[in-house]
Amino acid sequence: MIAQQPAERRALIGEYVLGLLDDEQAAEVRALIEQDEEAARMALDWERHLLELTDQLPAQAPSAQLWPRIQASLGIARTPDHSAWGQWWNNLLTWRLTSAALAMALVAALAPGLWQGETATGYTVVLQPPGETAQPGWVVHIAGDGALRLEPLMQDEIPADRSVQFWTLVDPAIGPRSLGLIEPGKPTVISAEQIGEVQPGQLFELTLEPAGGSPSSRPTGKVLYIGRAVVASVN
Amino acid sequence: MADTTFDYETTLEACARRDERAFQALYNQEAGQMLGLAITLLGRRDQAEDCVHDAFVLIWRNAARFQRTLGSGRAWIHSILRYRALNQLRSRGRTVELDDDFIERAADDSLQAADLLEQQSEQRQLRRCLQGIERNRRHPILLAFYRGLTHDQIAARLATPLGTIKGRIRAGLRALQECLHP
Repeated sequence: MIAQQPAERRALIGEYVLGLLDDEQAAEVRALIEQDEEAARMALDWERHLLELTDQLPAQAPSAQLWPRIQASLGIARTPDHSAWGQWWNNLLTWRLTSAALAMALVAALAPGLWQGETATGYTVVLQPPGETAQPGWVVHIAGDGALRLEPLMQDEIPADRSVQFWTLVDPAIGPRSLGLIEPGKPTVISAEQIGEVQPGQLFELTLEPAGGSPSSRPTGKVLYIGRAVVASVN
Repeated sequence: MADTTFDYETTLEACARRDERAFQALYNQEAGQMLGLAITLLGRRDQAEDCVHDAFVLIWRNAARFQRTLGSGRAWIHSILRYRALNQLRSRGRTVELDDDFIERAADDSLQAADLLEQQSEQRQLRRCLQGIERNRRHPILLAFYRGLTHDQIAARLATPLGTIKGRIRAGLRALQECLHP
């Protein structure tokens, strides 16, 4: 039976919103919410207050595959436009810059301020095993529009019960931010919204995490590859 | 964080008219925060992404059922996420066995300098009210919110009789609603 008294009813609906009720009670309250506008208002009111608790948690960047997957499930997928990337890849200058970036990465790490005066239209990051300088494993390109493409340069062997997670670090005081899981050996595109504005010298890394990714908002496993963003003018 | 300039209600109404751009704007706006909560509830990033996927599929399909006269659009979106996350938790029959210490910190309302301005606003109303109730009533409510635990699971985790837990949660919610709606 659902309480008639408003305060009891509001508390019961709060328990429903939190997911505390058993199946039978939950079904009763759900039916009430569907029929009774006042009950529906109470449920949304609890939900609105509880958003304060949601907002105490750091937001987590979804993997690049999530949005296309939602589009595909709903049959609203549009073909992504890779033409800008195609041009970029075919641009010989870019290739030269990529290899030059290997050397520049170290310079940028030591003097990130050096690049701030540049008119930044894009960035390159060469990801290498920590402590190595001539073993690039992945390369990151950030186009002028802010979209990021992560390209494998070698095939990694990752244990079946592990995942590889991509991170960036803008401000050490805030800590690394997850850019989602990546599949070893497969290129990944991440939207400008997910990346945010990139700073010269910004750190990117790939870490080995438990299957499904780090259980917290921080990397928990070994750093596989790491590198810093250097300006690459692609005009 | 909540973006007070984003118009969730109008965006949902556009989704109801099958406006794909509005849907993508909603995703860009809210998916990160939804994923943050889903990871906390489910403990695994891949399952949390599945949950956010399912929630957005439901949001698009049911957008026409949203009515702004019933309440906040952002609350409506999160009610769908929570519903999906709880279903996933129940169907796998196992909860997250992680350190729960953070939940009291998340609810902590103690004033930081930057928070002073915010103090009067609605933004921290719930946390202020939560701090006003006894820990033994507050803590089970936070376990339900952040870990998606049922009455039984909370009783087991806190090694407290079920009846006592139910009574404390009910009393805690009654106190909260009096504080939120005096």
